[in-house]
Amino acid sequence: MLLKRFNRIQRLFHLFLIITFLIQAGTGFGRLFITTDFGRSLTSIFGGYETAIVVHFWVGILMMAGFTVHTIYLVTRINRRDLVNSILGPDSLVLGPQDAQHLFQRILWTMGFGSSPQLDRWAYWEKFDYWSVFWGLPLLAVTGIMLKFPLLTTLFLPGWALNISGLLHRAEAILAASYIFIVHFFIGHLRPASFPMNEAMFSGNVPLEEAVKEKPAWVERLRQEGRLLELMKVRPPALWYRVLYFVFGYTALGFGIYILINGIVYGRYIQLH
Amino acid sequence: MKEAVTRVRLVYIGGAVGLLIGLAVILTVPVRLARGQEEVTSKIYRYRERVATGYYEGYEVSPRRARAILETPGIKRGLFPYGSSSAMVRIRARLPDSHKGLKFYYRNTCIECHPEQARNIHSVRAGITCRQCHGPEPIPAINHYYSAMNTIRRHSYVCAKCHEGATAAFASFYVHEPPAASLETRESFPALFYTYWGMLLLLVGTLAFFIPHSVMVGLRELSEHLSFSVPHTLMVGLRDVFKKLVFFMSHSFLAGFRKFSQKLSFFKPQNFLAGYRKLFKKKEAFKNETDNAP
Repeated sequence: MLLKRFNRIQRLFHLFLIITFLIQAGTGFGRLFITTDFGRSLTSIFGGYETAIVVHFWVGILMMAGFTVHTIYLVTRINRRDLVNSILGPDSLVLGPQDAQHLFQRILWTMGFGSSPQLDRWAYWEKFDYWSVFWGLPLLAVTGIMLKFPLLTTLFLPGWALNISGLLHRAEAILAASYIFIVHFFIGHLRPASFPMNEAMFSGNVPLEEAVKEKPAWVERLRQEGRLLELMKVRPPALWYRVLYFVFGYTALGFGIYILINGIVYGRYIQLH
Repeated sequence: MKEAVTRVRLVYIGGAVGLLIGLAVILTVPVRLARGQEEVTSKIYRYRERVATGYYEGYEVSPRRARAILETPGIKRGLFPYGSSSAMVRIRARLPDSHKGLKFYYRNTCIECHPEQARNIHSVRAGITCRQCHGPEPIPAINHYYSAMNTIRRHSYVCAKCHEGATAAFASFYVHEPPAASLETRESFPALFYTYWGMLLLLVGTLAFFIPHSVMVGLRELSEHLSFSVPHTLMVGLRDVFKKLVFFMSHSFLAGFRKFSQKLSFFKPQNFLAGYRKLFKKKEAFKNETDNAP
Protein backbone atom coordinates (compact mmCIF):
# COMPACT_ATOMS: atom_id res chain seq x y z
CA MET A 1 0.00 0.00 0.00
CA LEU A 2 1.78 3.06 -1.24
CA LEU A 3 0.78 6.70 -1.29
CA LYS A 4 2.08 9.16 -3.82
CA ARG A 5 3.95 12.05 -2.21
CA PHE A 6 6.20 13.66 -4.83
CA ASN A 7 5.67 13.92 -8.55
CA ARG A 8 8.37 13.46 -11.17
CA ILE A 9 9.24 17.17 -11.48
CA GLN A 10 9.69 17.61 -7.75
CA ARG A 11 11.95 14.57 -7.54
CA LEU A 12 13.96 15.86 -10.48
CA PHE A 13 14.43 19.21 -8.73
CA HIS A 14 15.67 17.42 -5.63
CA LEU A 15 18.05 15.22 -7.62
CA PHE A 16 19.36 18.29 -9.44
CA LEU A 17 19.90 20.05 -6.12
CA ILE A 18 21.74 17.05 -4.64
CA ILE A 19 24.18 16.83 -7.54
CA THR A 20 24.83 20.56 -7.91
CA PHE A 21 25.04 21.14 -4.15
CA LEU A 22 27.58 18.38 -3.67
CA ILE A 23 29.71 19.63 -6.56
CA GLN A 24 29.57 23.17 -5.13
CA ALA A 25 30.45 21.89 -1.68
CA GLY A 26 33.34 19.83 -3.04
CA THR A 27 34.85 22.61 -5.14
CA GLY A 28 34.10 25.39 -2.66
CA PHE A 29 35.33 23.67 0.48
CA GLY A 30 38.26 22.26 -1.44
CA ARG A 31 39.36 25.80 -2.21
CA LEU A 32 38.62 27.02 1.30
CA PHE A 33 40.84 24.27 2.74
CA ILE A 34 43.47 24.46 -0.01
CA THR A 35 46.31 24.96 2.46
CA THR A 36 45.59 21.56 4.02
CA ASP A 37 45.87 17.98 2.70
CA PHE A 38 42.11 17.61 2.82
CA GLY A 39 41.57 20.62 0.55
CA ARG A 40 44.20 19.50 -1.92
CA SER A 41 42.76 16.00 -2.20
CA LEU A 42 39.23 17.37 -2.51
CA THR A 43 40.11 19.84 -5.27
CA SER A 44 42.11 17.16 -7.07
CA ILE A 45 38.78 15.40 -7.77
CA PHE A 46 37.70 18.49 -9.69
CA GLY A 47 40.98 19.10 -11.47
CA GLY A 48 42.96 21.20 -9.00
CA TYR A 49 42.75 24.66 -7.52
CA GLU A 50 42.38 26.59 -10.77
CA THR A 51 39.92 24.25 -12.45
CA ALA A 52 37.79 23.89 -9.34
CA ILE A 53 36.74 27.54 -9.49
CA VAL A 54 35.68 27.17 -13.14
CA VAL A 55 33.58 24.15 -12.20
CA HIS A 56 32.24 26.04 -9.19
CA PHE A 57 31.24 29.02 -11.32
CA TRP A 58 29.49 27.09 -14.09
CA VAL A 59 27.70 24.74 -11.73
CA GLY A 60 26.62 27.85 -9.83
CA ILE A 61 25.18 29.28 -13.06
CA LEU A 62 23.39 25.96 -13.59
CA MET A 63 22.06 26.10 -10.05
CA MET A 64 20.73 29.61 -10.58
CA ALA A 65 19.02 28.48 -13.78
CA GLY A 66 17.48 25.61 -11.83
CA PHE A 67 16.40 28.02 -9.13
CA THR A 68 14.73 30.24 -11.74
CA VAL A 69 12.93 27.28 -13.28
CA HIS A 70 11.86 26.14 -9.83
CA THR A 71 10.52 29.60 -8.98
CA ILE A 72 8.52 29.65 -12.22
CA TYR A 73 7.21 26.19 -11.36
CA LEU A 74 6.30 27.46 -7.91
CA VAL A 75 4.36 30.42 -9.35
CA THR A 76 2.43 28.13 -11.71
CA ARG A 77 1.36 26.04 -8.69
CA ILE A 78 -0.56 29.02 -7.30
CA ASN A 79 -4.25 28.70 -7.99
CA ARG A 80 -5.48 32.20 -8.84
CA ARG A 81 -9.12 31.32 -8.23
CA ASP A 82 -8.36 30.20 -4.69
CA LEU A 83 -5.42 32.44 -3.87
CA VAL A 84 -5.57 32.44 -0.07
CA ASN A 85 -5.96 28.69 0.28
CA SER A 86 -3.27 27.86 -2.26
CA ILE A 87 -0.73 30.12 -0.52
CA LEU A 88 -1.65 29.65 3.13
CA GLY A 89 -3.45 26.29 2.94
CA PRO A 90 -2.18 22.88 4.06
CA ASP A 91 -0.76 22.01 0.62
CA SER A 92 1.46 25.08 0.69
CA LEU A 93 4.99 25.24 2.09
CA VAL A 94 4.43 28.70 3.60
CA LEU A 95 5.06 28.72 7.34
CA GLY A 96 2.02 29.40 9.46
CA PRO A 97 1.05 29.65 13.11
CA GLN A 98 0.08 25.97 13.19
CA ASP A 99 3.75 25.10 12.54
CA ALA A 100 4.80 26.78 15.79
CA GLN A 101 2.11 24.80 17.56
CA HIS A 102 3.25 21.55 15.92
CA LEU A 103 6.85 22.29 16.91
CA PHE A 104 5.88 22.85 20.52
CA GLN A 105 3.69 19.75 20.57
CA ARG A 106 6.37 17.62 18.95
CA ILE A 107 9.03 18.72 21.43
CA LEU A 108 6.69 17.84 24.27
CA TRP A 109 6.00 14.50 22.58
CA THR A 110 9.72 13.67 22.45
CA MET A 111 9.79 14.11 26.22
CA GLY A 112 6.77 11.91 26.73
CA PHE A 113 4.01 14.47 27.05
CA GLY A 114 0.90 14.07 24.92
CA SER A 115 0.80 12.71 21.39
CA SER A 116 2.63 13.56 18.21
CA PRO A 117 1.08 16.55 16.40
CA GLN A 118 -1.44 15.97 13.62
CA LEU A 119 0.93 16.90 10.82
CA ASP A 120 -0.43 17.73 7.40
CA ARG A 121 1.37 17.32 4.09
CA TRP A 122 4.46 19.29 5.10
CA ALA A 123 5.96 19.03 8.57
CA TYR A 124 7.58 22.13 10.02
CA TRP A 125 11.10 20.72 9.63
CA GLU A 126 10.44 20.05 5.94
CA LYS A 127 9.25 23.63 5.51
CA PHE A 128 12.37 24.87 7.28
CA ASP A 129 14.55 22.73 4.98
CA TYR A 130 12.84 24.19 1.95
CA TRP A 131 12.98 27.86 2.92
CA SER A 132 16.55 27.72 4.15
CA VAL A 133 17.61 26.58 0.68
CA PHE A 134 15.28 29.10 -0.91
CA TRP A 135 16.92 32.11 0.71
CA GLY A 136 20.42 30.62 0.77
CA LEU A 137 20.66 30.05 -2.97
CA PRO A 138 20.09 33.69 -4.07
CA LEU A 139 22.44 34.94 -1.34
CA LEU A 140 25.19 32.57 -2.51
CA ALA A 141 24.48 33.46 -6.13
CA VAL A 142 24.66 37.24 -5.62
CA THR A 143 27.78 37.16 -3.43
CA GLY A 144 29.38 34.62 -5.76
CA ILE A 145 28.81 36.80 -8.82
CA MET A 146 30.14 39.80 -6.92
CA LEU A 147 33.34 37.89 -6.13
CA LYS A 148 33.66 36.49 -9.65
CA PHE A 149 33.41 39.94 -11.28
CA PRO A 150 35.13 42.28 -8.82
CA LEU A 151 35.79 45.03 -11.37
CA LEU A 152 32.16 45.13 -12.39
CA THR A 153 31.01 45.08 -8.76
CA THR A 154 33.26 47.98 -7.77
CA LEU A 155 31.68 50.17 -10.43
CA PHE A 156 28.64 50.23 -8.19
CA LEU A 157 29.96 49.38 -4.75
CA PRO A 158 33.11 50.21 -2.80
CA GLY A 159 35.80 47.55 -2.72
CA TRP A 160 35.24 46.62 0.89
CA ALA A 161 31.83 45.26 -0.15
CA LEU A 162 33.87 42.38 -1.59
CA ASN A 163 35.26 41.64 1.86
CA ILE A 164 31.69 41.46 3.14
CA SER A 165 30.43 39.37 0.24
CA GLY A 166 33.34 36.95 0.63
CA LEU A 167 32.54 36.53 4.29
CA LEU A 168 28.82 36.09 3.56
CA HIS A 169 29.54 33.52 0.83
CA ARG A 170 31.72 31.42 3.11
CA ALA A 171 29.46 31.74 6.13
CA GLU A 172 26.31 30.85 4.21
CA ALA A 173 28.08 27.91 2.58
CA ILE A 174 29.22 26.61 5.96
CA LEU A 175 25.72 27.10 7.37
CA ALA A 176 24.07 25.28 4.45
CA ALA A 177 26.58 22.44 4.39
CA SER A 178 26.54 21.84 8.12
CA TYR A 179 22.74 21.90 8.18
CA ILE A 180 22.44 19.49 5.25
CA PHE A 181 25.21 17.13 6.36
CA ILE A 182 24.08 16.97 9.98
CA VAL A 183 20.37 17.66 10.31
CA HIS A 184 18.98 16.86 6.88
CA PHE A 185 20.97 13.62 6.58
CA PHE A 186 19.85 12.62 10.06
CA ILE A 187 16.22 13.17 9.14
CA GLY A 188 16.58 11.41 5.80
CA HIS A 189 18.70 8.44 6.80
CA LEU A 190 19.42 7.93 10.48
CA ARG A 191 16.09 8.69 12.12
CA PRO A 192 14.52 5.34 13.13
CA ALA A 193 11.35 6.18 11.18
CA SER A 194 13.33 6.56 7.95
CA PHE A 195 16.31 4.25 8.52
CA PRO A 196 18.14 3.15 6.34
CA MET A 197 16.87 5.72 3.89
CA ASN A 198 13.74 7.76 3.30
CA GLU A 199 12.84 6.64 -0.19
CA ALA A 200 10.02 9.11 -0.78
CA MET A 201 12.19 11.64 -2.57
CA PHE A 202 13.47 9.05 -5.07
CA SER A 203 10.60 6.63 -5.55
CA GLY A 204 7.94 9.31 -5.02
CA ASN A 205 5.90 7.08 -2.72
CA VAL A 206 5.53 6.56 0.98
CA PRO A 207 4.09 3.44 2.61
CA LEU A 208 0.53 4.17 3.69
CA GLU A 209 1.05 3.10 7.31
CA GLU A 210 4.04 5.43 7.59
CA ALA A 211 1.94 8.31 6.23
CA VAL A 212 -0.89 7.52 8.62
CA LYS A 213 1.53 7.43 11.52
CA GLU A 214 3.49 10.57 10.74
CA LYS A 215 1.07 12.71 8.71
CA PRO A 216 -2.40 11.70 9.94
CA ALA A 217 -4.03 15.03 9.07
CA TRP A 218 -2.83 14.75 5.47
CA VAL A 219 -4.27 11.27 4.96
CA GLU A 220 -7.49 12.29 6.67
CA ARG A 221 -7.79 15.37 4.43
CA LEU A 222 -7.17 13.27 1.31
CA ARG A 223 -9.86 10.83 2.42
CA GLN A 224 -12.36 13.63 2.97
CA GLU A 225 -11.54 15.17 -0.41
CA GLY A 226 -11.87 11.73 -2.00
CA ARG A 227 -8.36 11.81 -3.45
CA LEU A 228 -6.88 9.07 -1.32
CA LEU A 229 -7.65 6.17 -3.66
CA GLU A 230 -6.49 8.19 -6.64
CA LEU A 231 -3.12 8.86 -4.99
CA MET A 232 -2.78 5.22 -3.99
CA LYS A 233 -2.77 4.07 -7.62
CA VAL A 234 1.00 3.85 -7.77
CA ARG A 235 3.35 1.01 -8.53
CA PRO A 236 6.24 0.19 -6.23
CA PRO A 237 9.65 1.13 -7.71
CA ALA A 238 11.49 -1.45 -9.80
CA LEU A 239 14.32 -3.31 -8.14
CA TRP A 240 17.06 -1.90 -10.39
CA TYR A 241 15.78 1.63 -9.70
CA ARG A 242 15.72 0.95 -5.99
CA VAL A 243 19.28 -0.36 -6.04
CA LEU A 244 20.32 2.66 -8.08
CA TYR A 245 18.92 5.24 -5.72
CA PHE A 246 20.22 3.43 -2.65
CA VAL A 247 23.72 3.46 -4.12
CA PHE A 248 23.35 7.10 -5.16
CA GLY A 249 21.90 8.16 -1.81
CA TYR A 250 24.65 6.48 0.17
CA THR A 251 27.31 7.93 -2.13
CA ALA A 252 25.92 11.40 -1.47
CA LEU A 253 25.76 10.65 2.24
CA GLY A 254 29.34 9.43 2.29
CA PHE A 255 30.60 12.43 0.39
CA GLY A 256 28.79 14.79 2.75
CA ILE A 257 30.08 13.04 5.86
CA TYR A 258 33.60 13.06 4.38
CA ILE A 259 33.43 16.83 3.92
CA LEU A 260 31.84 17.37 7.34
CA ILE A 261 34.34 15.34 9.35
CA ASN A 262 37.38 16.63 7.50
CA GLY A 263 36.03 20.17 7.71
CA ILE A 264 35.78 19.86 11.48
CA VAL A 265 39.20 18.23 11.78
CA TYR A 266 41.04 20.59 9.46
CA GLY A 267 39.07 23.70 10.44
CA ARG A 268 41.82 24.84 12.78
CA TYR A 269 44.49 24.74 10.09
CA ILE A 270 42.98 27.13 7.56
CA GLN A 271 44.53 30.56 7.67
CA LEU A 272 41.60 32.55 6.33
CA HIS A 273 38.21 32.33 7.90
CA MET B 1 -16.62 40.39 -22.99
CA LYS B 2 -14.48 37.66 -24.51
CA GLU B 3 -13.06 40.15 -27.00
CA ALA B 4 -12.14 42.53 -24.21
CA VAL B 5 -10.35 39.74 -22.38
CA THR B 6 -8.42 38.84 -25.53
CA ARG B 7 -7.51 42.50 -26.00
CA VAL B 8 -6.29 42.85 -22.45
CA ARG B 9 -4.30 39.65 -22.79
CA LEU B 10 -2.78 40.98 -26.02
CA VAL B 11 -1.74 44.18 -24.22
CA TYR B 12 -0.15 42.11 -21.45
CA ILE B 13 1.74 39.91 -23.88
CA GLY B 14 2.85 42.95 -25.87
CA GLY B 15 4.04 44.62 -22.67
CA ALA B 16 5.94 41.52 -21.56
CA VAL B 17 7.64 41.12 -24.94
CA GLY B 18 8.49 44.84 -24.94
CA LEU B 19 9.97 44.52 -21.46
CA LEU B 20 12.12 41.58 -22.52
CA ILE B 21 13.32 43.46 -25.62
CA GLY B 22 14.08 46.49 -23.46
CA LEU B 23 16.07 44.38 -21.01
CA ALA B 24 17.99 42.80 -23.88
CA VAL B 25 18.79 46.27 -25.27
CA ILE B 26 19.97 47.47 -21.85
CA LEU B 27 22.20 44.42 -21.52
CA THR B 28 23.89 45.18 -24.84
CA VAL B 29 24.90 48.68 -23.70
CA PRO B 30 28.53 48.38 -22.59
CA VAL B 31 29.14 49.28 -18.99
CA ARG B 32 31.13 52.48 -18.65
CA LEU B 33 34.46 51.48 -17.21
CA ALA B 34 35.92 53.86 -14.70
CA ARG B 35 39.09 55.65 -15.60
CA GLY B 36 41.64 53.43 -13.99
CA GLN B 37 45.03 54.73 -14.90
CA GLU B 38 44.72 58.20 -13.41
CA GLU B 39 45.41 59.56 -10.01
CA VAL B 40 42.58 60.68 -7.80
CA THR B 41 42.42 63.12 -4.94
CA SER B 42 42.78 61.82 -1.46
CA LYS B 43 39.44 62.36 0.18
CA ILE B 44 40.39 63.30 3.67
CA TYR B 45 44.04 64.08 4.11
CA ARG B 46 46.50 65.84 1.94
CA TYR B 47 50.01 65.55 3.16
CA ARG B 48 51.70 68.69 1.92
CA GLU B 49 55.27 67.68 2.31
CA ARG B 50 56.32 69.27 -0.95
CA VAL B 51 55.06 72.46 -2.53
CA ALA B 52 51.73 72.07 -4.24
CA THR B 53 51.45 74.03 -7.48
CA GLY B 54 47.71 73.94 -7.73
CA TYR B 55 48.04 72.69 -11.27
CA TYR B 56 47.87 69.12 -10.01
CA GLU B 57 44.52 69.61 -8.34
CA GLY B 58 42.82 70.57 -11.56
CA TYR B 59 43.95 67.39 -13.24
CA GLU B 60 42.64 65.03 -10.62
CA VAL B 61 39.58 62.88 -10.94
CA SER B 62 37.08 62.77 -8.13
CA PRO B 63 37.29 59.58 -6.08
CA ARG B 64 34.81 56.81 -6.46
CA ARG B 65 35.16 55.26 -3.09
CA ALA B 66 34.00 55.25 0.47
CA ARG B 67 36.37 53.96 3.09
CA ALA B 68 35.08 51.39 5.52
CA ILE B 69 37.77 51.95 8.13
CA LEU B 70 36.92 55.08 10.03
CA GLU B 71 39.98 56.39 11.73
CA THR B 72 42.22 59.39 11.89
CA PRO B 73 45.54 58.16 10.56
CA GLY B 74 48.36 58.65 12.97
CA ILE B 75 46.13 59.57 15.85
CA LYS B 76 44.09 56.51 16.48
CA ARG B 77 45.41 53.00 16.31
CA GLY B 78 43.32 50.22 17.73
CA LEU B 79 40.79 50.90 20.39
CA PHE B 80 42.84 53.34 22.42
CA PRO B 81 43.93 56.64 20.95
CA TYR B 82 47.12 58.31 21.94
CA GLY B 83 48.17 61.90 21.55
CA SER B 84 49.23 63.44 18.26
CA SER B 85 52.83 64.05 19.36
CA SER B 86 53.41 60.44 20.40
CA ALA B 87 51.67 59.31 17.25
CA MET B 88 54.29 61.11 15.17
CA VAL B 89 56.93 59.01 16.83
CA ARG B 90 55.14 55.71 16.85
CA ILE B 91 53.30 55.78 13.55
CA ARG B 92 55.55 55.49 10.57
CA ALA B 93 52.72 55.57 8.06
CA ARG B 94 53.89 58.80 6.42
CA LEU B 95 57.64 58.46 6.13
CA PRO B 96 59.40 58.15 2.75
CA ASP B 97 61.21 55.15 4.26
CA SER B 98 58.85 53.59 6.75
CA HIS B 99 61.59 51.49 8.34
CA LYS B 100 64.02 54.33 8.76
CA GLY B 101 66.23 54.01 11.82
CA LEU B 102 65.12 50.52 12.83
CA LYS B 103 67.98 48.55 14.27
CA PHE B 104 69.03 45.33 12.50
CA TYR B 105 66.37 46.01 9.87
CA TYR B 106 68.24 44.23 7.08
CA ARG B 107 68.51 41.03 9.11
CA ASN B 108 64.74 40.66 9.49
CA THR B 109 62.00 39.37 7.24
CA CYS B 110 58.70 41.25 6.93
CA ILE B 111 56.72 38.58 8.76
CA GLU B 112 58.94 38.68 11.84
CA CYS B 113 57.59 42.12 12.71
CA HIS B 114 54.23 41.96 10.92
CA PRO B 115 53.04 38.39 11.55
CA GLU B 116 49.34 39.21 11.34
CA GLN B 117 49.80 40.78 7.90
CA ALA B 118 50.86 37.42 6.46
CA ARG B 119 47.32 36.19 6.88
CA ASN B 120 45.87 37.71 3.75
CA ILE B 121 44.19 36.26 0.70
CA HIS B 122 46.93 37.36 -1.72
CA SER B 123 49.80 35.60 -0.02
CA VAL B 124 47.83 32.58 1.24
CA ARG B 125 46.05 31.82 -2.01
CA ALA B 126 48.11 33.34 -4.77
CA GLY B 127 51.53 33.14 -3.13
CA ILE B 128 52.24 36.83 -3.66
CA THR B 129 55.10 38.19 -1.58
CA CYS B 130 55.01 41.43 0.43
CA ARG B 131 57.39 43.26 -1.89
CA GLN B 132 55.36 42.53 -5.00
CA CYS B 133 52.87 45.13 -3.78
CA HIS B 134 54.74 47.19 -1.21
CA GLY B 135 57.73 47.71 -3.48
CA PRO B 136 61.51 47.42 -3.12
CA GLU B 137 63.70 49.12 -0.50
CA PRO B 138 63.21 51.69 0.77
CA ILE B 139 59.59 50.72 1.34
CA PRO B 140 57.69 53.99 1.56
CA ALA B 141 54.90 54.35 4.07
CA ILE B 142 51.49 53.83 2.50
CA ASN B 143 50.41 57.33 3.47
CA HIS B 144 53.50 58.98 2.08
CA TYR B 145 52.37 61.31 -0.66
CA TYR B 146 54.60 59.85 -3.37
CA SER B 147 54.16 56.23 -2.37
CA ALA B 148 52.78 53.87 -5.00
CA MET B 149 50.68 52.41 -2.21
CA ASN B 150 49.03 55.74 -1.41
CA THR B 151 45.29 55.37 -1.88
CA ILE B 152 45.25 58.16 -4.44
CA ARG B 153 47.15 56.00 -6.92
CA ARG B 154 47.24 52.52 -5.44
CA HIS B 155 44.67 51.18 -7.89
CA SER B 156 46.73 52.14 -10.95
CA TYR B 157 50.27 51.60 -9.62
CA VAL B 158 49.75 48.43 -7.60
CA CYS B 159 46.39 46.71 -8.17
CA ALA B 160 46.32 47.19 -11.94
CA LYS B 161 49.57 45.24 -12.29
CA CYS B 162 47.43 42.10 -12.11
CA HIS B 163 43.82 43.32 -12.09
CA GLU B 164 43.67 45.15 -15.37
CA GLY B 165 41.32 48.12 -15.22
CA ALA B 166 41.35 48.37 -11.43
CA THR B 167 39.59 51.45 -10.14
CA ALA B 168 40.00 53.44 -6.95
CA ALA B 169 36.86 51.78 -5.64
CA PHE B 170 38.31 48.37 -6.45
CA ALA B 171 41.45 49.30 -4.53
CA SER B 172 39.43 49.93 -1.39
CA PHE B 173 39.19 46.14 -0.96
CA TYR B 174 40.93 45.17 2.27
CA VAL B 175 43.68 42.77 1.33
CA HIS B 176 44.84 42.72 4.96
CA GLU B 177 41.39 41.97 6.29
CA PRO B 178 41.16 42.62 10.02
CA PRO B 179 40.11 39.63 12.15
CA ALA B 180 36.35 39.80 11.78
CA ALA B 181 35.47 38.70 15.29
CA SER B 182 37.61 41.13 17.25
CA LEU B 183 36.28 44.17 19.08
CA GLU B 184 38.84 46.34 17.34
CA THR B 185 37.13 45.50 14.07
CA ARG B 186 33.86 46.80 15.47
CA GLU B 187 35.51 50.20 15.58
CA SER B 188 37.45 50.00 12.34
CA PHE B 189 35.27 47.88 10.03
CA PRO B 190 31.83 47.56 11.65
CA ALA B 191 30.14 46.03 8.60
CA LEU B 192 32.54 43.06 8.66
CA PHE B 193 32.21 42.67 12.41
CA TYR B 194 28.42 42.63 12.41
CA THR B 195 28.21 40.38 9.34
CA TYR B 196 30.52 37.88 11.02
CA TRP B 197 28.69 37.80 14.33
CA GLY B 198 25.27 37.81 12.66
CA MET B 199 26.15 34.79 10.52
CA LEU B 200 27.81 33.02 13.43
CA LEU B 201 24.72 33.57 15.56
CA LEU B 202 22.55 32.19 12.76
CA LEU B 203 24.76 29.11 12.36
CA VAL B 204 25.04 28.39 16.06
CA GLY B 205 21.35 29.11 16.64
CA THR B 206 20.20 26.82 13.83
CA LEU B 207 22.43 23.94 14.87
CA ALA B 208 21.83 24.47 18.59
CA PHE B 209 18.14 24.05 17.94
CA PHE B 210 18.06 21.37 15.29
CA ILE B 211 20.72 18.95 16.55
CA PRO B 212 19.08 18.40 19.97
CA HIS B 213 15.70 18.35 18.21
CA SER B 214 16.84 15.59 15.84
CA VAL B 215 18.43 13.60 18.64
CA MET B 216 15.30 13.84 20.79
CA VAL B 217 13.03 12.81 17.92
CA GLY B 218 15.38 9.95 17.11
CA LEU B 219 15.43 8.70 20.70
CA ARG B 220 11.69 8.90 20.96
CA GLU B 221 11.18 6.99 17.72
CA LEU B 222 13.77 4.45 18.83
CA SER B 223 11.86 3.89 22.04
CA GLU B 224 8.76 3.14 19.96
CA HIS B 225 10.62 0.75 17.69
CA LEU B 226 12.24 -1.26 20.47
CA SER B 227 10.12 -3.80 22.25
CA PHE B 228 11.86 -4.15 25.60
CA SER B 229 10.78 -1.92 28.41
CA VAL B 230 13.99 -0.14 29.40
CA PRO B 231 13.54 2.80 27.05
CA HIS B 232 10.00 3.20 28.31
CA THR B 233 11.09 3.43 31.93
CA LEU B 234 13.85 5.73 30.80
CA MET B 235 11.26 7.91 29.13
CA VAL B 236 9.13 7.88 32.28
CA GLY B 237 12.16 8.75 34.35
CA LEU B 238 13.07 11.57 31.98
CA ARG B 239 9.51 12.79 32.15
CA ASP B 240 9.66 12.90 35.95
CA VAL B 241 12.93 14.77 35.84
CA PHE B 242 11.46 17.19 33.34
CA LYS B 243 8.34 17.68 35.46
CA LYS B 244 10.47 18.40 38.50
CA LEU B 245 12.60 20.78 36.50
CA VAL B 246 9.58 22.65 35.18
CA PHE B 247 8.10 22.79 38.67
CA PHE B 248 11.36 24.03 40.15
CA MET B 249 11.84 26.63 37.48
CA SER B 250 8.30 27.96 37.62
CA HIS B 251 8.43 27.96 41.41
CA SER B 252 11.68 29.85 41.58
CA PHE B 253 10.50 32.24 38.92
CA LEU B 254 7.29 32.96 40.80
CA ALA B 255 9.16 33.31 44.08
CA GLY B 256 11.57 35.70 42.48
CA PHE B 257 8.75 37.68 41.01
CA ARG B 258 7.09 37.89 44.41
CA LYS B 259 10.27 39.17 46.00
CA PHE B 260 10.68 41.64 43.19
CA SER B 261 7.11 42.89 43.61
CA GLN B 262 7.81 43.32 47.31
CA LYS B 263 10.84 45.36 46.45
CA LEU B 264 8.70 47.54 44.25
CA SER B 265 7.24 49.08 47.41
CA PHE B 266 10.59 50.84 47.71
CA PHE B 267 9.38 53.21 45.07
CA LYS B 268 6.53 54.49 47.15
CA PRO B 269 7.68 57.98 48.22
CA GLN B 270 7.47 57.49 51.96
CA ASN B 271 9.30 54.17 51.78
CA PHE B 272 11.86 55.71 49.50
CA LEU B 273 12.52 58.54 51.94
CA ALA B 274 12.67 56.13 54.85
CA GLY B 275 15.11 53.95 53.02
CA TYR B 276 17.22 56.93 52.13
CA ARG B 277 17.21 58.14 55.71
CA LYS B 278 18.30 54.72 56.88
CA LEU B 279 21.12 54.69 54.39
CA PHE B 280 22.14 58.18 55.39
CA LYS B 281 22.17 57.26 59.05
CA LYS B 282 24.33 54.24 58.33
CA LYS B 283 26.80 56.40 56.51
CA GLU B 284 26.78 58.91 59.31
CA ALA B 285 27.48 56.18 61.82
CA PHE B 286 30.33 54.89 59.76
CA LYS B 287 31.79 58.38 59.50
CA ASN B 288 31.55 58.94 63.22
CA GLU B 289 33.26 55.64 63.83
CA THR B 290 36.13 56.52 61.56
CA ASP B 291 36.41 60.00 63.04
CA ASN B 292 36.58 58.67 66.54
CA ALA B 293 39.15 56.09 65.62
CA PRO B 294 42.55 56.76 67.19
